[in-house]
Amino acid sequence: MSDALATTLIDDIGALLLFTMILILGAGQLYRAIYAVAAQSVFIGIAGAVLGAATGNPDLWVIAGITIAIKAIFLPWLLLRVVKRVGIRLEIEPVIPISVTLVIAAIIVVLSFYLAASLGTVRQAITGNALPVGVALMLLGVLVMVSRRKALTQMVGLFASENGIFFTAMAVSQGMPLIIEIGVILDVILGALVMGILVLRVRSSVDADIADLDQLRG
Amino acid sequence: MHPFEHIAIALGQMGLIVLLAPFTTGFIQKLKARLQCRTGASVWQPYRDLVKLLRKGTVQSDSASAIFRAVPVLVLAATLTAAALVPVVVVRQAPAGALPLGDAILLLSLLALARFLSAVGALDAGGAFGGMGASREMTVGVLVEPVLMLVVFSVAVSTGTTDLGELAARRGLAPLSLHAPDLLALFAMLVLLLAETGRIPVDNPDTHLELTMLHEGMLLEHSGPGLACLVLATHIKQLVVMALVAAVFFPAGMTASLAPVDLALALLVFAGKALLLAVFLALVESSYAKLRFFRLPQFLGVGFLTAFLALALRIL
Repeated sequence: MSDALATTLIDDIGALLLFTMILILGAGQLYRAIYAVAAQSVFIGIAGAVLGAATGNPDLWVIAGITIAIKAIFLPWLLLRVVKRVGIRLEIEPVIPISVTLVIAAIIVVLSFYLAASLGTVRQAITGNALPVGVALMLLGVLVMVSRRKALTQMVGLFASENGIFFTAMAVSQGMPLIIEIGVILDVILGALVMGILVLRVRSSVDADIADLDQLRG
Repeated sequence: MHPFEHIAIALGQMGLIVLLAPFTTGFIQKLKARLQCRTGASVWQPYRDLVKLLRKGTVQSDSASAIFRAVPVLVLAATLTAAALVPVVVVRQAPAGALPLGDAILLLSLLALARFLSAVGALDAGGAFGGMGASREMTVGVLVEPVLMLVVFSVAVSTGTTDLGELAARRGLAPLSLHAPDLLALFAMLVLLLAETGRIPVDNPDTHLELTMLHEGMLLEHSGPGLACLVLATHIKQLVVMALVAAVFFPAGMTASLAPVDLALALLVFAGKALLLAVFLALVESSYAKLRFFRLPQFLGVGFLTAFLALALRIL
């Protein structure tokens, strides 16, 4: 695969990633956000495969496979299962109104493009918009985490943020070493499992609303 | 090229849109009915409705003024002019000094004018539902129109012109030349398409239930031929927006020659694109519930942000 084609493809995938991120931000219901983050992980996997084909690095193929299997299938399945078991309200409860979040998101994206431009010539494996898109995804994931009340939605934000880090890593280096990637993915799984157990167990006595933890005094 | 040929092409495409527009609505309704396991009315039903309305007499409220009677004709005129501006099958470079037949900004402002006029008509009749429908429709208009402009600008920046014909001609060189900003703009446009055509997450075209209606509320006081004009204008507007999407994002398949074979082929391609968009509308309409009115800014905000990012990606 030629470099120019790979750059175009990665750019297009970057646009799709941004769009799924906007869907997560604008989702009014938990299910939609989970499906959107699953779609985003699929696109990340495809991006890994494209980069693997372009650079000839076999590790990237492995990582792409793992990403799709874990982040696009297993983790969303886990989240949906927890949602069903807990039976919480499906409406997302934002701390600030969703339309305000969307405005902040616009500012964040423009800032990350500005940031990437001001960094000068970072050694990039691929040229194009991959670096700013990755940074934007990372920050928007954090925005989801801080602007939502429920633990489950914050988890969706964490996954999105992790996708952003992954995309940035692919853009700047030619993929991180396999062992690091696997370590990161294991971390995410562990986080998801802990969150799932926490929500399921805590639910019996306390509502899994993070804002309630403010009331907790030692 | 003779300047009159330019105008004749525009008028021909306008006629095409007028003829096909009720069919598009009929097709969407039929497909929706099938998706909901109903038989549904025939795809020709919108034509029959129009003929029936044209035969009927007019009844209007006592408080209505002359403006009320003029509104249906004016709305139809504005929409028809908009239909003349959008390229459907023929794309040609406009001859130097010719009328700007195909300017995107003019097209969008004509659609906005039609919206404004129907709101005025609804207010003039003095009915409570008309006023409510008008107020809601204008609120949606405020949210939709700037975003449509953003989408058009994000594409116009790359081609350096707002003339739809030239824009389509320049992009038509490569069959599928969608870059990252175009993808985002396309997604924004799909969100807007639902709002502009008055379809379900935003408006419900099949209801006269006063709590849910936006566009229908404005038509309540009209009757007979006036109502026929407004209904036809709604059909046309829907197809115009679809043709706009096709011209801006999928210009492949349009022809520059006027040979009958080329024209027929281009018409087939356009029919394919329009049907694809109609299927999209029917699918969305069958699988989503109508949003609460105060949720609309959030839904359209997604479209706004996507369009904004498309423009930002293009410029930055």
